[in-house]
Amino acid sequence: MQATLTRRSFVKAMAAVGAATAVSTSYSSALSTTDKAWAATDSERTMYVSCCHGCIQVCPCKVYVENGVVVKIEGHPDGPTSQGSLCLKGLNQIHTCYSPRRVLYPLKRTGERGVKDAKWERISWDEAVELAASKIFEAIKKEGTYSFMVSVGGGGSYSFMQAMTLPMALGSPTVFEPGCAQCYLPRNAAAAYMYAGADQSIADCAVLEPFKGLAPKEIAKGVKPDTKVLVLWAAQPSVSQTAQSGRGMAELRAIGCKTIVVDPNFSPDAVKATIHLPVRPGSDAALILSWYRVILDEELYDKDFCRFFTNIPFLINPDTKLPWTAAEVFDGHVDPDPSTPAYVCYDQISKSVQPLPYGDPAVLKTQIDPAVVYEVEVKGKVSRTAGKVYRDEADPWTLEKTEEFCWVPADRIREAIDLYAKAEVAGIANGVASDMEETASQVPFGLMGLDMIMGYVNKPGATLTQNTPAAPGGPRPTHNWNGFSGMFGMIFGIGYQTGATPEQNEARIAAIPDEWDPSSPVPPFMTKTWLYALNQLMIDRLGMKNHKGLYEWCHSHIPTVREAIETGEPFHPRVWFDMSGNKFAMLGSAGAWYNAIMNGGVDFIICQYPMMTSFQIECADLMFPMEEWLEATGATEFGQLNYSFPCPGVIHLGETVPNTVPPQRVCNATAALLNDYIEQGNKVVFGFEGAKVGVASRNNGSYYHGNTIDTSKLRFPLGMGVMGGANSEKESWTAHIEKFKAFPNLAPKLEGVTDREGMLKAMANDPDFYGVTPPDMYWIYDQHLVPAADGLPTGFATESRKCEVYVQLAIKMGRTGFPYCYPIPQEAVDPSVATFDGDYSPICNVPKQKEVPASLSDPEGFAEDPSDEFPLALTSGRVYYFHHGTMRHAPFAREIYPVPDVRINPETAAKYGIAHGDWVEISSRRTQGEPYDPVTRQGTKTAEPIRGRAYVAEVVAPNVVWMERFWNPECFDNSVPAEKRTGGWQECNVNVITNAVDCRFNEVFGSYTNRGFAVNIKKSTKPDLVWTEPKEFAPFMPNNENQYTPADAGVAINNAALLTPIVEFNDPPTTMTGGF
Amino acid sequence: MAKRCLVIDLDRCSGCDSCIVACKFENSIELGNYWCRVNAIGPTGKHPDIEMYWLPVHCQQCENSPCVGVCPTGASYRDTANNVVLIDKGKCIGCQYCIYACPYGVRQYNEEEGVVEKCTLCNHITATSDGNENFNDTTDPEHAVPPCVHNCSCRARYFGDLEDPNSAASKAVEAAGGIGSAKVHSLGDPSGAKPTTLYILSPEIAAWKGLQK
Repeated sequence: MQATLTRRSFVKAMAAVGAATAVSTSYSSALSTTDKAWAATDSERTMYVSCCHGCIQVCPCKVYVENGVVVKIEGHPDGPTSQGSLCLKGLNQIHTCYSPRRVLYPLKRTGERGVKDAKWERISWDEAVELAASKIFEAIKKEGTYSFMVSVGGGGSYSFMQAMTLPMALGSPTVFEPGCAQCYLPRNAAAAYMYAGADQSIADCAVLEPFKGLAPKEIAKGVKPDTKVLVLWAAQPSVSQTAQSGRGMAELRAIGCKTIVVDPNFSPDAVKATIHLPVRPGSDAALILSWYRVILDEELYDKDFCRFFTNIPFLINPDTKLPWTAAEVFDGHVDPDPSTPAYVCYDQISKSVQPLPYGDPAVLKTQIDPAVVYEVEVKGKVSRTAGKVYRDEADPWTLEKTEEFCWVPADRIREAIDLYAKAEVAGIANGVASDMEETASQVPFGLMGLDMIMGYVNKPGATLTQNTPAAPGGPRPTHNWNGFSGMFGMIFGIGYQTGATPEQNEARIAAIPDEWDPSSPVPPFMTKTWLYALNQLMIDRLGMKNHKGLYEWCHSHIPTVREAIETGEPFHPRVWFDMSGNKFAMLGSAGAWYNAIMNGGVDFIICQYPMMTSFQIECADLMFPMEEWLEATGATEFGQLNYSFPCPGVIHLGETVPNTVPPQRVCNATAALLNDYIEQGNKVVFGFEGAKVGVASRNNGSYYHGNTIDTSKLRFPLGMGVMGGANSEKESWTAHIEKFKAFPNLAPKLEGVTDREGMLKAMANDPDFYGVTPPDMYWIYDQHLVPAADGLPTGFATESRKCEVYVQLAIKMGRTGFPYCYPIPQEAVDPSVATFDGDYSPICNVPKQKEVPASLSDPEGFAEDPSDEFPLALTSGRVYYFHHGTMRHAPFAREIYPVPDVRINPETAAKYGIAHGDWVEISSRRTQGEPYDPVTRQGTKTAEPIRGRAYVAEVVAPNVVWMERFWNPECFDNSVPAEKRTGGWQECNVNVITNAVDCRFNEVFGSYTNRGFAVNIKKSTKPDLVWTEPKEFAPFMPNNENQYTPADAGVAINNAALLTPIVEFNDPPTTMTGGF
Repeated sequence: MAKRCLVIDLDRCSGCDSCIVACKFENSIELGNYWCRVNAIGPTGKHPDIEMYWLPVHCQQCENSPCVGVCPTGASYRDTANNVVLIDKGKCIGCQYCIYACPYGVRQYNEEEGVVEKCTLCNHITATSDGNENFNDTTDPEHAVPPCVHNCSCRARYFGDLEDPNSAASKAVEAAGGIGSAKVHSLGDPSGAKPTTLYILSPEIAAWKGLQK
């Protein structure tokens, strides 16, 4: 039964406040067959607590449900940072959940790929899983395990661990997400390399300290804010995490915290900043070096911390580029504990080169005074301190020279340095911009290092703080380098353990059994054979030869994956399982990706997402329906400061499932096919059939696999199988309930609660519904000073036990893959890629920049091939309305921000004859020249120029343009005739013109260039299919139509068939087989 | 007479437009109509010496409310209990005189229903509220606030009766130095409508320019 309800009356009904009469009677009749939890509510309004997943952060909220329909969402006042705020991304989730663009049932493509022929058939879950498994099985059977690949989306998306472990479970090394090297990995990894602690990302919930003690209820507990100066370097919390960090910033500024904002754009946080440094896009590294120059010359750094808790005074061997150790320099020197070696410094008391032992600064400083910036002969070689290496690198960057290069007034830079360096305590929060540029390693190395030399570490008010206590009398800290800093045990391999000796590391390997052994002290899935296979997967992962920093998150290098699809070299991914949204909007050089896929590069594409986006409408062959957050339980594990909020799904539509379900089920179904096949005596290639062994691909690929792994004993899924999650909705709920039972205050309330309904009810009207870590267990400082078992301060889990401002690990990594590629080393980085005389740079430096705007004055030649054809520097940044590629289908967002603004300074706009509100065409090298040929690598053009609408104001400097990512789902709306439809990714999508083809990849992480490259603009017209007028967005309002499900299936909100209980599967969950 | 209104702290407002969307959901406003808008005022100056602020604008709850005076049917009226300027849609004939009379352009013509609409201060949930929200029960009628206030991402919005010194709105104004101080402003009033709504803006953030972009 499907009652009719106009869009207008539906919206009215949804929003009818306390007026039961306004609720259409069709609701109650429609609900007659839904599950009792909702039917029992009649037309009353029930409030549930949950959390918004509209961005990467998590704002608790109240969700009001009437007759099984979410009618209102508001922020929950108990969030210690959000304090009741909820931004429009959260509010608009009602329109996301009930969007006519939802995919609510498994769908199989019936026509050809491409938007114009897009036709879908609803199939059963069993059919869908079987289809996916059979395609993967066929590809692996034919060409080997490397023929399968997986991709996923960045923060706030719907899957992560599943994407990481699914390819591994099926023996493939290939997985990527468009973020990773372009978003957060470099900053996250830099913190791991430099002090094995929390990083400087404010968007990713690493920087929490500034938001401490802002909420009245925290103040009542005696918790006080301490941050006096906060540097937002290329971060805009007010936009990216509007109701959480954005709210926190508003509170912080209100109590007098000074802020320095480094951003080419006059972002909301720049508007409110004490000092705004509108740096030229792509030039941040030079600006950082100007800070080092002043701070080192004027000795503004924290002398004790710098001398005794950083490696800045270490003398560096000019041949190895590594710090001299005392054992190398002084005959007979023996370290009392080889895991804490003494290094070498120039002592200003004895005026000689001396061992610099690790120890308590209070004691050491009475005995030795290590020089910070110094040069002296060691064993006949002129050796500089790490501080001197930094000072030399910074030498060109006087304030005046920096002004020329970075386009920021010298006096303003000086003012910022003084505010930061002369503060009682300060901290840097580093945003995403550098991850999207050539300097993806240099900038975080530089910014982490600044906070370190300033001693802004583990101090109240500093950003580099840890929220975990040190263990008094504990061991010398160690760090595991097996992916995600060892967060997930050994699932990605064993990795080296820094802080332990080589002998101790060898012993770790010796402890691994040859065969699967449940009694083994290491996880039972870990065998020597599997360890070897995991190590091989790492080495064979696409693009790792040159960009070994990607090992930190176990991801492939994206442009190299695309090249493998284009050319089949070094091996050919044939079947692709994607677990996120619009790849064409999020991947750089989107046109090259589109061509690679449409030219037959991928045999079969499996997608899972709650929504149909450009990528799925163009390319998906099979689509699994995913829950939106109003349906999804515990989809994210982040809390807010020391609070942990439940995130239960409150409603359910169609046959959607948690994000964990399809990877689990497809993996198990594929494994069953493979195991049968092997048991019948067939061979499965662990690797890729016919690939040339030991041949590196042209760009970054390496493939050293000898296909020597004996697959006759191999049983899938390998290793731990697909991790991170539930095989069914029920499991997902059980896990969520168990998680919150661990909090003492919640355990009694959840006693006996086993299901969805129980938890929702238990939590709904209870003021004490969240878990909280007591403030004194969370706001903790000076962990590095706590005495360890050896009587020394605990220190940090680095080789030197200190903060390694000079990233000595990066030097070693480039040469052998250390500490990730262990025990089997990897070949060295191509010296032409590495900017530190053939090695990864251990410090911030300014590499040559490709595609810089011709408007840059650059007598020193930092710019590579400046082109008059592209005189403007383009940068990007989020807008409030969307997170990543989400919500372009949300009508209340699109009517306010229908198309991307192209921010242009009036002076520049005048030069091009462009007025505010004009449509503008933007071109780059990706839209110019001969077509890009992936085989010959000739040509540059991968797509047509894009368009956006001019926002002419003094918001950016002359010669800078700013434009955020976009895509236009209206271009394939059913209201558009089929033959005219487009995928909506070519019109206004800045990623069409970004460079993931022939840019200078960041040396360590392989980051490609999304920002800071050169473009041109000209006046243009509106793309035909793009909507700009508010009323045009009416088809995106919740209504009785669903664009992708046949009419008989029933869709939309007032349809009883759609309001469903959870999807359940009858088969039992599979158990771990042991892999090898 | 009560002076119920919103007070908006522009030192805090980051222009995120969440108030617009909260309002649209609460009041079921059709596409293209807005009872609340957020204007970017600036940047003024020349890059890099620039400043700006965001100015949310909605019904100013004018003391002299010209909209009420011009309405031929009595559809535009003041709530007898709390003096809030409201529209009785049952009486509205859609003549739109009030739209022309309003000095601030905050009234909207609803094409589907043929009536004029505007911000009601969410009087349907706040009619008896003092604006000091009860965080343990956000539906408490004595303390409820409009969703644009509750959800505001920067806590830049305050609601209440300026005649009641204990209302949230009065306290925000008082904390900013009170009416007449350098930080407390109202929109220009060439027609003598006497807008009640107040804005807080410190000179350190930007000089007050009203709605002048």
